[in-house]
Amino acid sequence: MTPSCVVALVGRPNAGKSSLFNAVTGGHAKVGNFPGVTVELLDAQVRALSGELIELVDLPGVYSIEGEADPESDEGHARQFLDRARDEHKPLVIAQVLDSTQLELGLGLTLELRRRGVPVIVLATQHDALVKQGFELDAAALQEALGVDVLATSARAPGIKEKVSQLLADVWRQQRKPPHGTIDVRKLARQVLLPKENAAQSFARVRRRTERLDAVLLHPLLGPLVFLGLMTALFAAVFMIAEPVTALIDLANQALGTRIEGVLGTGWLSSLLVDGVLGGAGTVLAFLPQIVILTIAMELIDASGYLARGTYLVDRALRFAGLGGRSFVPLLTAHACAVPAITSARIIRDPGQRLRTILVLPLMTCSARIPTYGLLITTFFSDRSAWFKGAMFVGLYFAGILAGLVASLVLGQTVKQTGQRRPLVLEMPPYRRPHARVVARVAWRAGTRFVKDVGSVILIAAIVLWALLTVPGPGDSHSAPPGASPRVVAMHGSLAASAGRLLEPLSKPAGFDWRLNVGLIGSFGARELMVGTMGVIFGIEGGEDDTAPLSARLREAKTATGAPAYGPATALALMAFFVLACQCMSTLAAVRRETRSLRWPLFVLAYTYAAAWVVAVVVFQAATAFGL
Amino acid sequence: MGVRRTPAVTSLDLLAPQRSALITGLRMSEREAAWLRAIGLGEGVEVTVLRRAPLGGLLHVRVSGGAELAVDRELARNVELGPGEKERP
Repeated sequence: MTPSCVVALVGRPNAGKSSLFNAVTGGHAKVGNFPGVTVELLDAQVRALSGELIELVDLPGVYSIEGEADPESDEGHARQFLDRARDEHKPLVIAQVLDSTQLELGLGLTLELRRRGVPVIVLATQHDALVKQGFELDAAALQEALGVDVLATSARAPGIKEKVSQLLADVWRQQRKPPHGTIDVRKLARQVLLPKENAAQSFARVRRRTERLDAVLLHPLLGPLVFLGLMTALFAAVFMIAEPVTALIDLANQALGTRIEGVLGTGWLSSLLVDGVLGGAGTVLAFLPQIVILTIAMELIDASGYLARGTYLVDRALRFAGLGGRSFVPLLTAHACAVPAITSARIIRDPGQRLRTILVLPLMTCSARIPTYGLLITTFFSDRSAWFKGAMFVGLYFAGILAGLVASLVLGQTVKQTGQRRPLVLEMPPYRRPHARVVARVAWRAGTRFVKDVGSVILIAAIVLWALLTVPGPGDSHSAPPGASPRVVAMHGSLAASAGRLLEPLSKPAGFDWRLNVGLIGSFGARELMVGTMGVIFGIEGGEDDTAPLSARLREAKTATGAPAYGPATALALMAFFVLACQCMSTLAAVRRETRSLRWPLFVLAYTYAAAWVVAVVVFQAATAFGL
Repeated sequence: MGVRRTPAVTSLDLLAPQRSALITGLRMSEREAAWLRAIGLGEGVEVTVLRRAPLGGLLHVRVSGGAELAVDRELARNVELGPGEKERP
């Protein structure tokens, strides 16, 4: 059914548009306490009580809709939507989401919106925060002065969905064209903000809290220490808290495998289910706790307002590497997933910095690397203390960051600076307490998305790999260890094994044999598949009665001569490879979309793989020389 | 809250922490100036420096509209201030 009108939610960055969008539509737009959280247009339909169907569009934040704007920036995308709606004569209503704690600043944009010649409504949000500061908004007086409807509310107000949707429908029906005249916004803001009793004390109390926190978190010495400590604690928690839960899921996997073998025997169906499905997809699923913990931590950083403080702290260091403070947000986001991080690079106004940021984002340690890191650390460093393993995991995260900074410095010599340098101006939002429900919802979504991925792409890939390890290939099976079962000998002569063996001349200096090569081929499109591939290969190799976990099978893997196939040196080289290689088709597609060129994704692929191979060889040779 | 005449402070990058002054001009292209005004750093706005990041890093400022901003030092050099500065209100 065609909606009666399109309502564009317009407002300054971090005004609360996405929170309001979610409250009215019941949607799941990403919200945060940082300017530039919404970089994509989100839309949803909502029905007013009077029956009209309304299409609500959440636009990226804009400071102004007049004057020039870079079309590639988040602001440019919002303006293009408004311009297109005007040119195509769409039935448009503009709903300005205005942070009532920063009324004067938001009213400048209101005056511009009134000049668009379409119905406008002002939704003055954060009214609860304004009350805490000791003020009330006189919405009636503001409405009269502006000549447009005004609603003072907050995203968590009861009945907001019905109230706002009906108001939007009314504004559309009335078709009231707003007046164009100029208003002294400073004077108007003073007139409509009514101080309550003890307003000065309330305002001072709220401000003092922010100042106290900033005095520590932005302190020249303490601030960077707290920042580094937080990041270290976050990465260590991902490993140390989640590891026991992961081990439990792994145990459940093994128990299920034993049961399947007990019922079905040891035929091909049993091998498909145990080695293919459980060994492949089940092994990856065990890393669900890490994904959820990482998501919760990132959400807390974002929602609390600390993200902007982090930007303030790291701006100078990032500028040294040719990036900038605004690069920090995509760089941090990329620790969950590089794809949304590449899109969020639109908040970087400087085109040269934006391109450099996009090109180094694939080096950040995304959650898809976690299963491989977790498996290698618990397998080859199992005799080390939990703290050592945790420190190793944290070290891999910082290795990714360091690789990104070095790559940016090197790219600075090769990537041509496009356009004029744009200096940074960034809003520092107030600190806010994250809402447990929002955090839980985000964690739930990340968890279910991961389970869906495992249940679809990874499951299919594991089954295909199992089949390729069964179909005979052109090569021989001479690499099977002495005394191997016929199934293992057959796998060593399979199509997949032949493909892996083709790469051995290139991979041997890094310590990778055909089995690891099959994993690397399998994880070319998505790096999560590495662990799944290993699960399938070593599930088959483990034999018919072996229910040992994957880590034990990897440790016990043998070469054709019966010698141990892998050791800590192989693990370090493989981790180095994973730090650098862009094994993610979705990331490359995002680079192509954002740079509008095939050249840059191919460049990312070439430089990350070349660097990954060189560093893996150096690490393996050095580690072997040191007797690891 | 005394007002001191300090003619040396002519741009935002020179304003000491916990001091306020009025913005009187923006020395930059009209496009950049319009963007800055929209953010809240326009002429006639009172700006207070809260802190400066070390090693020539960002300035943390508060503008009279209530917003707090982190501003590039290079940009701050081109934000002209009026002759009268004062201690933070």
